[in-house]
Amino acid sequence: MKMEDMSLSGLDNSKLEAIAQELYADLVEDSCLGFCFEVHRAVKCGYFFLDDTDPDSMKDFEIVDQPGLDIFGQVFNQWKSKECVCPNCSRSIAASRFAPHLEKCLGMGRNSSRIANRRIANSNNMNKSESDQEDNDDINDNDWSYGSEKKAKKRKSDKLWYLPFQNPNSPRRSKSLKHKNGELSNSDPFKYNNSTGISYETLGPEELRSLLTTQCGVISEHTKKMCTRSLRCPQHTDEQRRTVRIYFLGPSAVLPEVESSLDNDSFDMTDSQALISRLQWDGSSDLSPSDSGSSKTSENQGWGLGTNSSESRKTKKKKSHLSLVGTASGLGSNKKKKPKPPAPPTPSIYDDIN
Amino acid sequence: MNKDTQMRAAINHKLIETGERECLKEALRAKCGCKDQLQAHWEEVIKEKGLEHVTVDDLEAEVTPKGRALVPDGVKKELLRRIRTFLTQHASL
Repeated sequence: MKMEDMSLSGLDNSKLEAIAQELYADLVEDSCLGFCFEVHRAVKCGYFFLDDTDPDSMKDFEIVDQPGLDIFGQVFNQWKSKECVCPNCSRSIAASRFAPHLEKCLGMGRNSSRIANRRIANSNNMNKSESDQEDNDDINDNDWSYGSEKKAKKRKSDKLWYLPFQNPNSPRRSKSLKHKNGELSNSDPFKYNNSTGISYETLGPEELRSLLTTQCGVISEHTKKMCTRSLRCPQHTDEQRRTVRIYFLGPSAVLPEVESSLDNDSFDMTDSQALISRLQWDGSSDLSPSDSGSSKTSENQGWGLGTNSSESRKTKKKKSHLSLVGTASGLGSNKKKKPKPPAPPTPSIYDDIN
Repeated sequence: MNKDTQMRAAINHKLIETGERECLKEALRAKCGCKDQLQAHWEEVIKEKGLEHVTVDDLEAEVTPKGRALVPDGVKKELLRRIRTFLTQHASL
């Protein structure tokens, strides 16, 4: 490009203007051409008309504005009233309950097999338990651990079996905690839960005693059965538990946790003065020590853990013995999970003291 | 003529070099709302003619005069002003 030729300053305004106009025209033409190319390409590639829809399909997807329908025109609770016939049992089941019913009806699926297995295990245990009652008593002193293991296992399976309206496999467990009376909650129609607790008439005194040391045992007003939850079950108060124990085991029997303090009081004569001063909750001191079986275990629990509980509770206000009972039972319930490890030394302590 | 064409070529070249041309083009596109109108017009035309028969030449022949006409006056003046400024700036070159 020769610079000498480009002397625009020498040009007059009209020529400048003409040049400007030409440039402008060029620009506009360029844009138009660009637009043409775009349209042409869209047409040839087939996406020119993509945004359009024919009126038929427009009608299909129109927004529905009628009462009772959503914007797609679907009915809200259409499936609530529908019923399906179960192919297995030929019953008419509501649609929303059909899937769980089928799972149980056919016996397939995780829950059904779990429950069936438990039932089998429980029925085996129940068959064995009656024959083993006496054996357990006899071998209590010698083979304590063996007997206690069997007991503990059986009790645990019983507990699972007899959980009041609680199917541990279902996600609805927490709901039953809402009712805190002496009565059981949720009227659940499921067939597994026909025995929500233990019927105490069928139990012998030994069984009762053993049950009461580990389970709540409060008798429900409605079903006349004993509660099989832990000693600290929130549905029942300690008063209720004490009442039940007194009722069953005589006025001498009380809550296992309280027995620890009782036994300690009775050991005053020997060398438990220090223990007594530590565990100095009262109220139940007028009650004499209960039967050997339950007192041994519970006493040992109090013994072994008395220091911990008393030291931790010393600073707190002395509400009533129940608070200690709570702790001891809490500690006791912890112990329950293992096959009674504190149990073995109990006879020896007893022997020493006596 | 030769000088003129040469001069025009030189100016164009300058425009492109400085990027001014692109700027002007963008300004034109942005301010010109005629694209949608043109597109709507084109949809009708193409429906009539059929998709197969559309050619670039036809399009160009129709679009250019329409495009020119559709540019708003304000936009046109603005562009002209900018071009003139550019020319005077580079007059000494």
